[in-house]
Amino acid sequence: MSVSRPNVSNDLIWQITRNQNAYLVRRNTGGGSQFSRDPLNLVNKHSFKAVGVQSDENGNVVVITKKPNNAQQPAQSLVTVSYGPKTSTRKIYKGVASKTAQHGYRADVREEAVSRVSALRRAGLPKKETPASKPRGAKARQAEEKSE
Amino acid sequence: MVAAKKHVPIVKKHSKTFFRHQSDRFMRVGSSWRKPKGIDNCVRRRFRGVIRMPKIGYGSNKKTRHMMPSGHKAFLVHNPKDVELLLMHNRTYAAEIAHAVSSRKRVEILAKAKALGVKVTNAKGRVTTEA
Repeated sequence: MSVSRPNVSNDLIWQITRNQNAYLVRRNTGGGSQFSRDPLNLVNKHSFKAVGVQSDENGNVVVITKKPNNAQQPAQSLVTVSYGPKTSTRKIYKGVASKTAQHGYRADVREEAVSRVSALRRAGLPKKETPASKPRGAKARQAEEKSE
Repeated sequence: MVAAKKHVPIVKKHSKTFFRHQSDRFMRVGSSWRKPKGIDNCVRRRFRGVIRMPKIGYGSNKKTRHMMPSGHKAFLVHNPKDVELLLMHNRTYAAEIAHAVSSRKRVEILAKAKALGVKVTNAKGRVTTEA
């Protein structure tokens, strides 16, 4: 987040970037909504707080954290840990929780991080095919006529 | 697809649209609402048996405003990446595919939405054919 310049706070950066940034997605439908594409954003909600750990990718769950000391080189300040598709979900929870909360990184995002892991895990599961519809009544008769 | 979060029942206090006074009598008077301003106007003076005027009291509960009957709010998506934004919100938001998206890309969006458990409001558009 904040750079090592002493007089630039995180709040100031947020005030500058909150109205216009590459990650912001705004929609007018549904009464207007704001989401964020930030890979470090756990809930994809556009807000100051929601900056932390992220997880995604094909089968793997990737956890990204930031190092505080390398703020001038944002690309190198990222630390990724990936869990393969065969790792048990509980193990990933544990890893994510300890990474966020235990080592003084961002204790406040632990719950969101864990819930995101479980959402991703659920998304990775194979899905059932939607069953073919069985028409009844008039539609069934119509279909029968057609097949004859 | 996941069911929407529990919510207070949606109440529409006035489900009919408000038509402009006397728009039913004259071709030249359009139906979109205009507040009557005349000194003798019976609608403005709220006489018995005349049409109702829209007012703020007819507004929906803030908690259920913009909600579909299913309890979701619509979120416009153009590609599978937009659907990913709803990963953590599939109980509050439903995806709505933008009108200009081709059928080939709609299939991709639908597959993504199914994986993430996101409801799509217009899932059948351009994808199914009429029998």
